[in-house]
Amino acid sequence: MSKDVIVTQNISKTYGKPPLQVYALRETNLHIKQGDYIAIIGPSGSGKSTLMNLLGCLDKPSSGNIIIDGSDVSTLNENELARIRREKIGFIFQKYNLIPTLNALENVELSMGFAGVDSQTRTKKAKELLEMVELSKRLTHKPSEMSGGEQQRVAIARALSNNPSIILADEPTGNVDTKSGDNIMRILEEVNKRGETIIVVTHNMAIAQRAKRVLRIQDGEVREEHV
Amino acid sequence: MFRDNVKLAIKNLRNRFSRSLLTLLGISIGIMAIISLLALGEGMQQAITGELSSLSDVVIVSTGGDVFSAFGGGGSTGEYFTQRDIAVIERLQGVKDVSTQLSGYALAEYNGKKTIVSLTGMEIGVMQLQYASQNLAAGEFLNEGDQNKIMIGYSIAHDTFDADISVGGRIKINGEKFFVSGIFGKQGFGGVSSDSNLLMSTRDFQKLTGQSNISLIYLRVENVNEAESIASTIQNAINENHGRKDYATATTMTSILETVQSITGLLQVVLVGIASIALVVASIGIMNTMLTSVMERTREIGIMKAIGATNLDIMSIFIFEGMLLSSVGGIIGIILGVFGSQGLTLILNNVMTMGPSMNLTPIITISSVVLAVTVSLIVGVLSSLYPAWKAARMSPIEAVRYE
Repeated sequence: MSKDVIVTQNISKTYGKPPLQVYALRETNLHIKQGDYIAIIGPSGSGKSTLMNLLGCLDKPSSGNIIIDGSDVSTLNENELARIRREKIGFIFQKYNLIPTLNALENVELSMGFAGVDSQTRTKKAKELLEMVELSKRLTHKPSEMSGGEQQRVAIARALSNNPSIILADEPTGNVDTKSGDNIMRILEEVNKRGETIIVVTHNMAIAQRAKRVLRIQDGEVREEHV
Repeated sequence: MFRDNVKLAIKNLRNRFSRSLLTLLGISIGIMAIISLLALGEGMQQAITGELSSLSDVVIVSTGGDVFSAFGGGGSTGEYFTQRDIAVIERLQGVKDVSTQLSGYALAEYNGKKTIVSLTGMEIGVMQLQYASQNLAAGEFLNEGDQNKIMIGYSIAHDTFDADISVGGRIKINGEKFFVSGIFGKQGFGGVSSDSNLLMSTRDFQKLTGQSNISLIYLRVENVNEAESIASTIQNAINENHGRKDYATATTMTSILETVQSITGLLQVVLVGIASIALVVASIGIMNTMLTSVMERTREIGIMKAIGATNLDIMSIFIFEGMLLSSVGGIIGIILGVFGSQGLTLILNNVMTMGPSMNLTPIITISSVVLAVTVSLIVGVLSSLYPAWKAARMSPIEAVRYE
């Protein structure tokens, strides 16, 4: 039995004050294990993004605790959260979110730079990662010079650059064509096979069904879906 | 991380080239003003210092409290030194070349018009030394041995009589004929010779007036380091002779030099103060540009935070951008300042007609360049602090959601 990488204990996220309080997420308890491959599904506004932001340490819960790799992140300050995001988590966004002024190689190197990796090691690692996502020929291309699928693969390389234990992907195939989308999922599954935990938020049931576990969110409540 | 910030900053500035250029220009203008005004002030100071320090062994003794009133030539306080005073000075150790300036009034006649003029008699050697810095409008200085020759001020030549007087012109003074050897250029205020003065040799003066009203005593000291102590000894001795505490003032060139330097120093501070206003405006420009940049890059900031940038990382990126803007602006400003100071000097030399030996040369010192670079870096940091803090404070979710 592998260990838990993420445990949530009764986390809730609310907006506003009572009596007008709105629950975006309600008392959620999750155990996510090392090597899990989880799809989170649910209609728009159901709380998917809220859950992702909480798991990715971009936001703090209104109540409850989140334990990532053994440390309770609800008690951490901003700098410590930045460190968790840098070392434990790799983000992949629907809109790629690459830095437009940097080329593919520089984008992948960026978060290693924040982690203090020296530039030689960084460049070597970035080249390896870009090769893995089949972009060796695009190293010096700016995001604007690449297709959506290519940009998303750069984003994957960036997400993997600091060897995170968790990959959070928010609609990673939402903005690309089916073929590119399939390619992207194949790469993510490859990464999952190496032992990394993958959490994918998606609308696409075909993609959700490739996951080992599916969580459905409705009105801020999370239910395990048995597939 | 430092090198990455440099790289990011350069990329971002290049991306907004024309805006960066305009912002940078603001700093350049401020630094240019500072550099050129400092260069001008330094040049002015050195011109005056050079002029005066050649006279550093000279002590001037005048009656009354102010050496500059005696400098005016004929304008005297009405009190004079006696031969006993001269004798006291000549007896002192370490003193040489004691000479006197006589002053009085005389009736001058030119072209049928008579008027009272002020008259100064000096040893010709002292005269040449004393008036060396003044430009002649026409003619030449008196030479040793000249008799019945005079130097006249600009007003005497052009305003006092009905007709202009030119070199070689004949003026009757107390009935005696004198020929004009040279005419001084217009002095206005602060010149060593007043415009309405007649200058002649001591011998001519005594022959003409039968008087020796000594208004000023020049002397030189053998050792420049003793100038101050000799000056105070002389002052005390003469005051004792006349039984008054403020009869005489003995002034060394060094003390005049110090006064002049403190005045030009103050002038410099004022000029730089004015130039600093340009810098304040420029720093507001930087802040404005950086704030706009932070707003535009909200998303980028959010992404960087999401992939692990700390608040300090974000701040340092923006502060570095501000520093880069202002230091490049500063360097351009220094270059412009070199040219600007040349231009300003050209204008000043033409407008102010300082005389041939008082030509200003701007002097750019290492310390003013260092000051300019330091100031521009500080301006860069200070004006990007607030935008950087604003950027760092952004929440990563808000930023990433921002479209």
